[in-house]
Amino acid sequence: MTETHQAWLAQMESESRAKQEQFMNGIAGRLGHPRLTTAPPHPFRGAPDFWQTFGWSSDERVQQFTDNFEAAGGHVHRLSDMQEVQSFICSKAIELSARYMIHQNEIELNHLQLKEKLEDVVVSQWNSESDEDWIARAAEADIGIVMADYAVSHTGSIVVVSSKDKGRSVSLLPTALIAIIPLERLKTRLGEVLIDFDEAGREQLPAGIHFISGPSRSADIENDLTIGVHGPGVVFVLIVG
Amino acid sequence: MSKTDMKGTTVKGRAELALNDDFLRKAVKFTTERLRDGKRKASDDLGNWEEWRERGRQIRLHTIAHLDYYLNQFANQARLNGVHVHFADTAEDAVKITLAIAERKQALSVVKSKSMVTEELHLNQALESIGVDVVESDLGEYIIQLAGETPSHIIIPAIHKNRYQIADLLSKEAGETLPPDTAILAGFVRKKLREKFLEADIGMTGCNFAIAETGSMVLFENEGNARMVSTVPSTQITLMGMERIIPSWSDLEVMATLLPRSATGQKLTVYMSGITGPRRQEDGDGPDEMHIIILDNGRSLQLGDPEFQELLNCIRCGACLNACPVYRHIGGHAYGGTYSGPIGAVLTPALNKNIDQWDDIASASTLCGACYEACPVKIPLHDMLIYLRRRKVERGLGDKMESIGMRGFAAIMSNSKRYENALKVGKLAQRLVVKDGEITSKLGPLKGWNNYRVAPSLAKQSFRDQWGTMEEEIRHGLQEIDPLVSNRMEEIVRNREAGGKGHD
Repeated sequence: MTETHQAWLAQMESESRAKQEQFMNGIAGRLGHPRLTTAPPHPFRGAPDFWQTFGWSSDERVQQFTDNFEAAGGHVHRLSDMQEVQSFICSKAIELSARYMIHQNEIELNHLQLKEKLEDVVVSQWNSESDEDWIARAAEADIGIVMADYAVSHTGSIVVVSSKDKGRSVSLLPTALIAIIPLERLKTRLGEVLIDFDEAGREQLPAGIHFISGPSRSADIENDLTIGVHGPGVVFVLIVG
Repeated sequence: MSKTDMKGTTVKGRAELALNDDFLRKAVKFTTERLRDGKRKASDDLGNWEEWRERGRQIRLHTIAHLDYYLNQFANQARLNGVHVHFADTAEDAVKITLAIAERKQALSVVKSKSMVTEELHLNQALESIGVDVVESDLGEYIIQLAGETPSHIIIPAIHKNRYQIADLLSKEAGETLPPDTAILAGFVRKKLREKFLEADIGMTGCNFAIAETGSMVLFENEGNARMVSTVPSTQITLMGMERIIPSWSDLEVMATLLPRSATGQKLTVYMSGITGPRRQEDGDGPDEMHIIILDNGRSLQLGDPEFQELLNCIRCGACLNACPVYRHIGGHAYGGTYSGPIGAVLTPALNKNIDQWDDIASASTLCGACYEACPVKIPLHDMLIYLRRRKVERGLGDKMESIGMRGFAAIMSNSKRYENALKVGKLAQRLVVKDGEITSKLGPLKGWNNYRVAPSLAKQSFRDQWGTMEEEIRHGLQEIDPLVSNRMEEIVRNREAGGKGHD
């Protein structure tokens, strides 16, 4: 099955490559120019000039992020260090009667020692063992905990990227999400984050880059806002520093 | 064919059905006004909206003008990421490829997130025909799937359903009676679809933008279902229109600034996901196999056409629907195609290249230009509607009565004697239908007009009749100017000549 499937994919690919030439020639023909093989100069790349230099102070970034994220229905707390993060998570777990918790396999989160602190809660570390159904572990979790790789105050967004130790499911499947933003990762504009992906280039990009700007929501029933339709319905952001 | 079916075949017929549905009309008006006000507030709050809009237009124009380069780059980069890229000239080709993948994967079930392209393909029916269970996972799409209907708004597909109708539909699915309470209904859907996500063999998505330089695809959504579909099942199939390309992640900042604000008034949708290939070998989640099917289906016909190329700049925000006075009254289903509102009125005939079958869709507009004003990438939709009407007439598909009428109008208007006689005939003839100075008859030549309005009767004494007297008054009246006024005017002139300010 695997071999025949690979053979089939290879067959599809050769058909697709032939089709691709035909497709691009067709487009160039209709556009009335010969096939372009080098990158055309792109004078309008990215945001307008006035925006490229725009930036808020650290305090303004915290304030704007908080206003935007709370307007979207999320909760924001400013904490001074990871010690306070630990107490916050522990008291929240008790308050919400959490039974299952999952966090990314990151050094800052592992150091919180949640497993030891919360004896009644089953705490798992994403992808820390190979023969585990990690999606199921995330799906059963009451709370998922992630470190934000970036945050954007202008849109009130946290940004999480995937890796071996950082599951996409951890910020998606649990009922509640706690995201920790180290203050220095909080930017003003989307463009400050996006430029990093351009500069990193294709080969360095992770499979999943997710901007999250509040709890999952829908207004599909009579325009009546509901929270937590598919993703987490409760989102806490802890800004640290 | 029943009478209702007959009625349903033209925009006018479908609009009549929509206009008779009181709930639909109110719901559409309410929602679109809310979205429109949200957009206005969001664009005002942002500031410099016109500069953002212009930049959005420039990026889209640039990309489309060099589409062969950027699309080719995207396909090559996506392949390097491990994506299986396919090209489909037509809807049939895209369906064939999708079904082949589903059969190869021996898929029993597919979960889909919202994709207008798959609506274009009627993909759900095709998958069901080979025994694959297809579930729409966007809340609104799920509701209309249960109802067996099509989306009536690009952003809020179930805009035409009220909570009681939705409760009925979901109760059938639940096997118990659910109360018409939004939170309970949404909670039921969350639970029900969670099972579907976890057991599905294939996740299917659309694509808001595709980034050429890195071969990444970008999805905007609020519910999290697009993330589910692209994270949980082991195979992902993404369908994208060939024009969805932007060059870089930096360009995404502009699109991310324009799209959510224009669609729902949000600063950013709850989720914006950039997906670059299937899971890396060591990753704990994400699809093992990822396919992207790039669809033409009439899009390339707009390339090189000076009147319609800009259609490909569309970022599918729905702002033109919310701004359109016609859409707000008749709703999406009246347009009869996948895409509704002003963009649908132009896109549907353009993609289908069968202007005769969609002959009346371009007429479902008042040409007021509100769609252009609302468009975040400044597509001149109102001009395009006129081009469509012109092309329809050039192909001899114009309204026969209208062209006969126009010819008659020309003949009468070009000769004053004929016009005078026509007026005389009209004045005599109208006696049969005039009542209290108004004509309300819905018979004869005024039928279309009088369906929704009342025509005034021809004046007893027409402008033409009065012209002789009026001309006389104008020419000679000046001599009889009020002496007071005359004195004042002379005073002003004297004053000005003396160097004073005439008025300040």
